[in-house]
Order: sequence, then structure tokens, then C-alpha cells
Amino acid sequence: MDRIPATPPPADRPEAVDQLRQRIRWLEEERRQAFEEAQREADALFAQYQLSQLLASGGSVGELGTAVLLELLRLARAAGAALYLQREGDTDLVRIAEAGNPPSGAGPDPAAGRFDGIEAARSWIAGIPGGRVIALSESDPTTLLAIWPAADGELDDDGLRVALLARHELGVALTGARLREALVQERHELGAIVDGATDLILQVDADDRVVRLNPAGERQLGVAVAETMGRTCGDVLGCEAAGGHRVTDCPLAEVRISGVPIAYRETAVRGAGGSTVRMAGSYAVTPSAGAAAAGATAILRDISAAKALEDLREGFVATVSHELRTPLALIRGYAESLLYLDLDPGQQRQYVERIDDATGRLAALVDQILDITHLQADPLILERTVTTLPSLVARLQGELDAAGSNDQLVVDLPVELPDLYVDVGRVGQVLSNLVGNARKYAPDAPVVIGASIDRPWLAISVDDEGIGIPEAERGLVLEPFHRAWNVRESRIPGTGLGLFICRRLVEAHGGRLEILDRPDGRPGTRVRFTLPLADRSKMDGDD
Amino acid sequence: MKRRQGGDGAPSSVAARLRGTYTRPTVSAPATVTDVLDAAAVRAALGRCRVVVERHAAWLTRLDAVLGDGDHGDNLVIGFRAVDDMLRAMPDETLPGDLLRAVGHRLVAAVGGASGPLYGTAFLEAGARADDAVTLDGATMASMLTAAADGLARRGRSAVGDKTILDTLAPAALAFSEAIAAGASPQTAIGRAIRAGARGARSTRPMVARRGLALRLGERSAGHLDPGAVSCLLLLRALGGR
Repeated sequence: MDRIPATPPPADRPEAVDQLRQRIRWLEEERRQAFEEAQREADALFAQYQLSQLLASGGSVGELGTAVLLELLRLARAAGAALYLQREGDTDLVRIAEAGNPPSGAGPDPAAGRFDGIEAARSWIAGIPGGRVIALSESDPTTLLAIWPAADGELDDDGLRVALLARHELGVALTGARLREALVQERHELGAIVDGATDLILQVDADDRVVRLNPAGERQLGVAVAETMGRTCGDVLGCEAAGGHRVTDCPLAEVRISGVPIAYRETAVRGAGGSTVRMAGSYAVTPSAGAAAAGATAILRDISAAKALEDLREGFVATVSHELRTPLALIRGYAESLLYLDLDPGQQRQYVERIDDATGRLAALVDQILDITHLQADPLILERTVTTLPSLVARLQGELDAAGSNDQLVVDLPVELPDLYVDVGRVGQVLSNLVGNARKYAPDAPVVIGASIDRPWLAISVDDEGIGIPEAERGLVLEPFHRAWNVRESRIPGTGLGLFICRRLVEAHGGRLEILDRPDGRPGTRVRFTLPLADRSKMDGDD
Repeated sequence: MKRRQGGDGAPSSVAARLRGTYTRPTVSAPATVTDVLDAAAVRAALGRCRVVVERHAAWLTRLDAVLGDGDHGDNLVIGFRAVDDMLRAMPDETLPGDLLRAVGHRLVAAVGGASGPLYGTAFLEAGARADDAVTLDGATMASMLTAAADGLARRGRSAVGDKTILDTLAPAALAFSEAIAAGASPQTAIGRAIRAGARGARSTRPMVARRGLALRLGERSAGHLDPGAVSCLLLLRALGGR
């Protein structure tokens, strides 16, 4: 095997030949030892390399600990091993991983692998025959490795040396894994809070670009998170378009620059389907790590319902104070006159008629207020039957005749109209309300009732030649207690409830009510609403 | 999945064989290995390693992405390119043993990851066993393969069944030695060695890893082929000219 130079031995000097042979053996032995040494070194280096590769591979504390122990078992030819890590904010040591067989002699470690302090752990390991304890880190947190041989064996020193050389790495890797776990846990918990919140939570970076939007936000804005990322908050929320605030007055930018949180500020955003959603927001700076510029977080709560209720209450108070007090004052005045003045019978009768008139208005107001409390209740119960528009109009004409005020109504209906499937009483209420309104604002002009078929709907229109409703007010007059400014100035009495009631009744039938210009361009208003046609196939099981 | 067909159909047949969907081709393997190997034959065999590793690098890396750190294919490509470049620079009269030892050193130095030192050890041990022989006969080759497997087991502290390179190399070395001892030609012995190695590589699929990075996966390492065992089979096939 070994290539020794084959110089011929000097035959004449046998002792020299022996010396040379001796030297050759000696050199061969030295070479063998050096080779084995090199092999061992290479093995140890490779073992260390594999261990550090394992440490760098991440994973949970338990996974990493077990993998490391399995590696060490083989390295040190051990029967078993366990890792103990100091608990956070505590002196107790807890077993985080074990591998191999339990130690003989000392008995198993205490229940759940827990020790009261490092000394307890050390003294337990000291009781294991041949066992060794290696402190991977002495403090913050203390990490101990216990390793023991089989009952009749002993640990391999080369392997233990590798473990000792790598002990700081081991300690750091395990502590790192634990921190990582804690971080992941914390992130999960915080994420659950943000994702579970019913308020819209939105985070922007230093350039006001959206970096986070929670599921409640997705729902309320009607967008997917993915399509919001990187867009500006003004673009995503649509604050300016919804009338919340101008982009230049963005509260997110404000807190980001000033650093002072805003506890409460109302605004409006563009909700799902383009509707305006009124929001109460609180704003704060998002702390940033390192050199990154700070972003900001907004928590927005939908207060549309609360706002609507507030508006209703305000409108109610204003209307009641005006509409109740005016007839009451009249009644009181006439009643006092009747009581204290000597009036002739003709005058007395006139006063009583006026009292009757005023009580009529009061009664109508009370009826309307009661109506809207019913209408606010959802769902409205309808008693639907099959009927036709001409019969509904005829009923209205009958009522108007009885009141002696049918002279201005023009009925302009197509000759053949399909059946309707509606609550006759409720639709009658809508018609008489709309015609009454038209007559109130244009007492001497004709009111035209028309209709057209727009399957599966019948579109009914009521046109008047009154003062009209300003474009900007058309949506608002359909809300309770709202009256357009030109009507408020006209001194024509009203509660602002009529159109709202009509709208709710039409919507209860599934239809829509809207206010338009008259198609012939003349001044006045067209109110158009839709009602469902009778569809025999669908009537069963319908409400 | 349809894999790109190489000129000799090797990529699909190896993959198919390991998936258990392989049907044996009717064409017999080319007789590139004669009864003895000289330095030129050893060089040619080592050159084939580079080609095979390059062809299968993506597959090996994909296998390694499951169990390890996803660089096995790339690492071996780097290693065997370095080996190829080195061999070209070596004089023609270099002995087979010296060639193999040089390959071992080059692999240890050039390959990142554990596979470099492990394959390097195998080539070093084989080269040491070849010593200063000018040609390698069947018995020498058997002893070289056995030495390679033993050296790899020692360095990796691994045993058959640990889900490593050794699961391919050890049964292949054993099959080769047994065939030679029974009087078979090196040609026949190589065929048996590769079949045994393929069985060994396939056997790593259900194993739970006991060595290497796959340790951290524990039970989850079962159900996947070991990338080392597969690359070892590829190298054996390349060396054997199959």
C-alpha cells in the first residue's frame, strides 16, 4: 500500500538495515496516526457543520430542540438527552424537547419535565450515571442540555466536544425559536382582534397608501383587500366624494404629521354600492420599527343608523313644535272667543268649523306619526290581492267626489292594463297622498295620473303643475320630516312625512318611488313609482 | 406530468422508475464498461456525471425543497462543473486513483451543503482504494465501492434506513461485490448494482428521516423521496454508463 522509496538495502551493514526498517515502521505509524487525526477532525468539522445547518433551519422550539437532540445523540453515542429552557419571567426550567431513552439510575425527570430552578435540574442530572449537563446559556434565559449514555456505556468525547463548541449557537437558536414562536402567537392574537372587529380598520403608510384593511372594512366598502393595497386612502374610502372631508383635510395625514391622535371625528365614506356611509373615526399614528417613516391607523364606526335616528328625532321635534302648536293655538283662540265673546250664531258656527278644521289637521298629523312608527318596523305586513290600477283610481275618485274636490284630477291611463298584486289599502294611501300633495301645492292646476308597463312592473306617474322640488332636495324629501326649502318658505303647512310614507309603502311592495321633472318640460313635479304586476306563477307563497 | 424527453430517454425513465410507473426498455444498455477501466474510461465516467446532474438539477432541487433547503440540484451542478473543469486541466497520464481523489477534494471544496463533504468522502475513499493501479478490475471496483459506502457512513454518522445517500450506495456496493464474488463480469455487476441502488432510492420514500435537515420535519418527512438517495442513483447510473 504505502509507497516507500525502494532503495536497495546496504547488505553489508545489517544493523543499519534494522535501523532503517525500524524507522520505516515508525514513520508509517506516525503517518497512520496523522491520517486518523485528520479523519477525526474532518468528521468533527462536518458534524459541526451539519449541526449549524440544522440550527439555521428555523422551526418551532420543539421541532428544533428534538432535531438537535437526535443529532447530538448520534454524535455523542448517547442513549438519551433532553433540553430544558427557563420559562419567561420565572426561574423554573421546563423541558422543551427529549429524545432517546429515559436515563437509568436517576429515574425520570419530575412531572411535565419541570424543575424549580437551575440547581434542581443540575442535581437531578448529577444523579444519572455517566450523565453530563451542558449549559447552553447561563442566564436570560437559562438553557440546559442533559445527555446520558446507555446503562453500560459512556459518552463519546469527540461528539461531546462538538456539542460544547456549538453550545452558544444552540442557546441562541433555541432562544430565537422561542421568540419567534411568541411573536407568531402575538401576531395571531392581534390579527384575530383586527379581523374580528366590526369597525372598519385601515392602516396607511407614510405616503397615505393603504397597507391594511380588515374584513369589516372590506364588507363596508365593498372592496377586496387585494385591490386596495397601494392605493391612497382617499381613493379607497372616497371621503371627498361622499362629502366626508376634502383630501387635503385627511385626518390620517394630520395625525401622521402632528403625532397627536384624534379621539373622535365624524366623516363620511363611500360605502358598498356607492352609498354614503357616515362614520365616527378615531385616528392614531402607527408606530414604525427602525428608520421607516410612521404611518397612521383609522378605526371607523358606521354611525349612519345612529345619525339617521338623530335626524329623525330632530325633524320630529321641529315638526311637532311647529305643526302641533299652530293648530293648537288656533283651536285655543277660537275656543276662547267662543267662551268669552258674545258672538252671533253665524260667527259661532264659523269658529266651530275652524276648530274642526284644525283638529282635522292635528288628527292627520297624529295619524302620520303613528304611521311612520309602523313603517319603521320591518317588515311591513301587506295584505295583497289581485286588482287593477283603474279600480284603484276609481276608488280615489270616489273619495275625492265625497270631499267635493274631484274637479282637477285627469286620469290618462292606457286602455288595457294588466292586473296588479298589491295591498289595496296601502296603494290607495299612496295615491291619495300623492294626489293630495299635488293639489296642495297647485290648487287650481290639473293633476294627471298616467301609467306605463315596464314588466314585471307597472310604472305609475302623478304629475302636477306646482312649484316643483329643487333637484338637490329630491332625495331628501323622501326622508322623514324633510321639507324642501321652497316649500318651507311657501308657508304651506305640512309635516314632511307624506312622501316618506309613500316611498316606504312602495318599497314594501318591492317597487321604487322617485321624483322627476315633468316630461313635457313645464314647471311642476312628476312622482313616478312602480308596483308589481300580478304573476300567477309566483303568487303562491308570496307574502 | 410529462417530462421533457432527453435523447436517450433517461430523464423520464429515472423519474418513472422512482414513481413505480416504469416499464423496462427493450433496448439493452450500451456496453461502455469493459472488464477493466483505464484512466480514460474513468474520465469519461466522471464527465457523464456532470451531464446527468445538469439534466436532473431541477428535479433534485424540487425534492430537496420538501425535505431540506432546496439547493441539492444546484449544489451538485456547481460541484460537477468544477470537477469537469478540473479534470480537463489534469494531465492525461494521471492514474485513476489520483483522478478520483482529486474529484473528492474538489467536491468537498466546491459544493455547498452537506452533499459536498459526503460525496467528496466517497470519491476520496474510492480513490484511496484504487491506489496506484493503472487499470481497475472488478475486484478493485468492488472494494472501491465498498470503501466509498463505508466512508460516507462514517462521515455522515448514518446507517441504511436513515433516509440518506447511503440507502442507495450501500445496497449498490453490496450487490456489485456479490456479483463479482460470484464470478460475474463488471458489466453484469454494474447492472445489478444499479438495480439494487434504485430499489434503495425508492425505499427512502416511506422512511422517517434520521439524518440531515429533514430531521426537523420528524414524521412529516415520510412520503417523500430523499434527494440524496436519488442523486446517488443518478451518479451511479452515470458512472456505470447506463
